[in-house]
Amino acid sequence: MDLNYSDEQLLLKESAERFLKGRYDFEKRNTIIGSETGFDAGIWSEMADLGWLALPFAEENGGLGGGAVEISLIMEAIGRALVVEPYLASIILAGGLVEKLGSADQKAEILGGLIAGTSRLALAHAERQTGFDLGNITATAMKSADGYTISGKKPLVPGGSFADIFLVSATFDGTVKLFVVAADAVGLTSTQVKLVDGSRASDLVLDNVPVPASALLDGAADTLDEIEAAHDRANAALAFEAVGIMDALMDATVAYTKERVQFGKPLAAFQALQHRMAEMAVKCQEARGSALLATLSVDAPRVTRIRGVSGARAKIGKVSRSVAQEAIQLHGAMGFSQEMPIGAWFRRLYAIENTFGTTADHLKRYGEIVRDPAMLSGSLLREPV
Amino acid sequence: MDLLMTEEEVRFRNEVRAFLGTHLDEGLTRAERLNPSFLADPAVGLKWQAKLNHKGWVAPSWPKQYGGTGWTLAERYIFDQECERAGEPHFRGASIKMIAPVIMRYGNEAQKSFYLPRILNGEDVWAQGYSEPGSGSDLASLKTRAMLDGDQYIVNGSKIWSTLAHHATRMFALVRTADTGKRQEGITFILIDLKSPGITIRPIRSICGTHEFNQVFFDDVKVPVSDRIGEEGEGWDIAKYLLEFERGGAFAGGMLRAMLARLHRRASEPLPDGRRMIDDPLFMARFAEIATDVDANDMLELSAMSKVQAGGNPGSVPSSTMKIERSRIRQSIAELAASILGPDALRWEEHRPLHELPEESEIDEERKVASAVYFNSRSQSIFGGSNEIQLEIIAKTLLR
Repeated sequence: MDLNYSDEQLLLKESAERFLKGRYDFEKRNTIIGSETGFDAGIWSEMADLGWLALPFAEENGGLGGGAVEISLIMEAIGRALVVEPYLASIILAGGLVEKLGSADQKAEILGGLIAGTSRLALAHAERQTGFDLGNITATAMKSADGYTISGKKPLVPGGSFADIFLVSATFDGTVKLFVVAADAVGLTSTQVKLVDGSRASDLVLDNVPVPASALLDGAADTLDEIEAAHDRANAALAFEAVGIMDALMDATVAYTKERVQFGKPLAAFQALQHRMAEMAVKCQEARGSALLATLSVDAPRVTRIRGVSGARAKIGKVSRSVAQEAIQLHGAMGFSQEMPIGAWFRRLYAIENTFGTTADHLKRYGEIVRDPAMLSGSLLREPV
Repeated sequence: MDLLMTEEEVRFRNEVRAFLGTHLDEGLTRAERLNPSFLADPAVGLKWQAKLNHKGWVAPSWPKQYGGTGWTLAERYIFDQECERAGEPHFRGASIKMIAPVIMRYGNEAQKSFYLPRILNGEDVWAQGYSEPGSGSDLASLKTRAMLDGDQYIVNGSKIWSTLAHHATRMFALVRTADTGKRQEGITFILIDLKSPGITIRPIRSICGTHEFNQVFFDDVKVPVSDRIGEEGEGWDIAKYLLEFERGGAFAGGMLRAMLARLHRRASEPLPDGRRMIDDPLFMARFAEIATDVDANDMLELSAMSKVQAGGNPGSVPSSTMKIERSRIRQSIAELAASILGPDALRWEEHRPLHELPEESEIDEERKVASAVYFNSRSQSIFGGSNEIQLEIIAKTLLR
């Protein structure tokens, strides 16, 4: 057991923080989210140059072979900087699924452009009625003469408005399968949607969209299992994004209360406020512990994975909300204004609580796992494989 | 970065598990289940200590040269997890976890060779003499006085909240030897034989119905200078060192998890009206939330342990966070466990210790002690540096 970052990991962390601090300040972000596309192509290609887009993929697929810990470091920095470009949606979630499900040819064709930054993916899976039941899919794929025809509606596709390639899930022969669909395919309509945190998604409608036989990503025994695992990887990444935001809120609140003078002394000199900030710090610490457990669980067997990932989303949902609310309160009216990043962090945390399952969904999923006494009472330490 | 045990650690865990399976008998675990307090009933604790002493496992955190195990941190963690899972009586209190590290660090050779073996074999049981009626969180305001008279001190004053002092043979105490300079500088650390003339012990019954705390009065009590630890005026530094052991020196995750597992067992049994709490969504939501808290605390413990293993230290914010969260988790488990008693919550069994009463089913006995466990849990956020003191420590680090 060792929970210390390696020197290489610390370097990655530092370089990610430095890059975003220099290139992605709050003003820059406001420009991006105010733009037509809500996306900065320059930043995306710089991320490609830094190797971020290659990070999670195996070396044989042109990647850097980074693991969940490396991804978590990028996500933590992304959280603090409030990056709206679709790193999670395009690289971790959709890219990860191509790596798991694609044939050698499919991987070579799709991942090459993704890693180079010239192409972006989006996973179009959840539907309006899907809720937290990932298997509840009504989009359909029908066999055609030279491939398949896909129909269905996919609202709020994460990263959808920036994507040139969609991975669309649809039921085929009674099971859920995943298909590669070009954004300019005939019969596909993608409408950009503005999200609560300033980022974008798209509402996707597929009306008898023809795709070739080679569009089927069929490299797993059960596609749905892989989709669930991919969402767990994404949720672990979200957990660390939230941790980055919480620490940023903490730092901003400490800095503000030290500077702001009322009644002849800095706000930070009032014990009533000191203890509230200390309580925020307690929650930041706890959230970090939970997020780390999620990160170290994504490659574990399913129940262990759920315990780590959904436990973290449940715990972090609760404590991050509290930290964000307190940060606004301790900033007074300034925290209520869009001129400061406080509100933007607050809204991003709110979005996270409602992405890939709500806080309550994850608590329920976690609760079902820890009903098993062996899981509940067992140590977090694991036997070597 | 990983959560994996080594093959060697797995072997060690299995050895511990096997030992506990053979030696930790039902009488001991039942007594502990029926104990609402932080520390085991002394008679029960000493019985278990004797068995462990035979194996050489009384003091996992002590170096080998003093009769400890010499285990790595990971082994100590695993040992603690296994002992908690098995439900061992919590006998490692002021003797093993508090005064022993102080004697090892600040004691002279004579003190080490006399006192340490007597702690291991249970001959000496120590009580803590820190708080006074007028000095709690503001410990440096303490007034119990020790006047030097030849080769002995004459001690007058009073200490309070001394856990199990009525069963203890000795007390370590902070006393005032000077009034000049900073008030911290006039404090000295001494060891007091509780059989000395001039000592009176007054029991304080706690809200959980148990006599565990005491007030101890000193009326011209003679303490040889040779029973002073360190120099005169060095007491404050020693006290701070000791509090580190009280605070971050132990793992609590195993105990919290064991408490939660017990609650789960009880919630899985039908209530008199036939319902099972484990099927109740409101109960399960609260239960699951607490379980996520336990997981997070475990990760903080393991992170702190990793830092220490790598030669660092956990830092004051994580240490105080753990102190606060452990107390809150323990309190919330106890509160939830008491909340499902229904009308039985109104019944109050006065007899102590509860394990002397005729045996009932495990579930009925858990129900019998649940209210007292909840009442007792309120002390968790007070002792060892109250949660408000921990918040002060965190705030000081944040805002410096």
